[in-house]
Amino acid sequence: MKQRATLICAAAFLGMIDALYLTLMRGLHVPCSVSGGCNEVLTSPYAEVFGVPLSAIGLAFYFTVFILAVLEVFEVAHLVRWIFWLALPGFLITLVLIYLQAFVIRHFCQYCLLSATLVTIIFVTSAWPHQSRQLPQPR
Amino acid sequence: MSNKTKPIVVIVIAVLAAAGIALYLSRQSAAPRTGADGSLASSGGGHVRGNSAAPVTLVEFGDFQCPSCGYYHPIVDELVRRYPDKVKLEFHHYPLVQMHAHALDAAMAAEAAGNQGKYWEMHDMLYDHQKEWDRLLNTDAQFLAYAGSLGLDANKFLRDMKSTDVQNRILEDIQRGSAAKVSGTPTFFIDGQALNPTPNGVDEFAAIVNNKLQASK
Repeated sequence: MKQRATLICAAAFLGMIDALYLTLMRGLHVPCSVSGGCNEVLTSPYAEVFGVPLSAIGLAFYFTVFILAVLEVFEVAHLVRWIFWLALPGFLITLVLIYLQAFVIRHFCQYCLLSATLVTIIFVTSAWPHQSRQLPQPR
Repeated sequence: MSNKTKPIVVIVIAVLAAAGIALYLSRQSAAPRTGADGSLASSGGGHVRGNSAAPVTLVEFGDFQCPSCGYYHPIVDELVRRYPDKVKLEFHHYPLVQMHAHALDAAMAAEAAGNQGKYWEMHDMLYDHQKEWDRLLNTDAQFLAYAGSLGLDANKFLRDMKSTDVQNRILEDIQRGSAAKVSGTPTFFIDGQALNPTPNGVDEFAAIVNNKLQASK
């Protein structure tokens, strides 16, 4: 349980850096040597929802997940289930964003792909079955 | 340290570290956008939009294929419209050819249209339809279609697009930008002073213009 929470902490920490970086770089030219299409993606209409940049929403997500995971690591509270319920919509939104990059904007943004990877790690790790679940008793 | 304070300390340290790293990376990314002294030695040349006698000159180094430049295009237009007698835009080409395969061709198309008196019409056309041509393998037919829709002489347009005169004009702009240590687009200067970070909307540009106008009174 502690290992899972530590992995989620690490992913959420990297996610906070990624999302805050994109929020700070809003409206500026972003270096994009790996995927090449960051600025196309980040200036597209899909980069914000009702005027709120997706990166700011992502930052709030990672920040919340990080706090929950730290509380789990220190065994203050057992909150992996909460992380799962946050990560589930996050993961579904990530799938939509990858679809938009691949088929609508037709450019990929490396920072968004990193975030997609981190959300997937958080989702899969939080969804993994509880190890202490009791096995059925043999009859 | 009690077990209850440990997670709080870890959260605070991690959040501060993440903020510090993100801030550092964003500063690093934005830093090479303008010259070390943040100034442009002299303005002049380029294409001017607005009243040429306007006291405030906004110089832009832009690339028609750069999405950020496309984003700023309506913002800059709005600024010039908002201050019809006070602000003029002086546009210089700065095609980032290593990143944008069609940036140079687009700049040449705009200059070729300029030879027939329709530089700004082609400038607007290229930015307004950026998403239409930036993914094409070859933009020749598309640019020719734009020229046609602007009523340009197709033969002269095609000839001018390949002319050394047009190439030299773009090269001059690039050299001017390099001298001012421009490395990203769009990079803006107001009365020779680099705008770093780039203002995030027409109101932020307007605030800088108002300061300039106040200072010159």
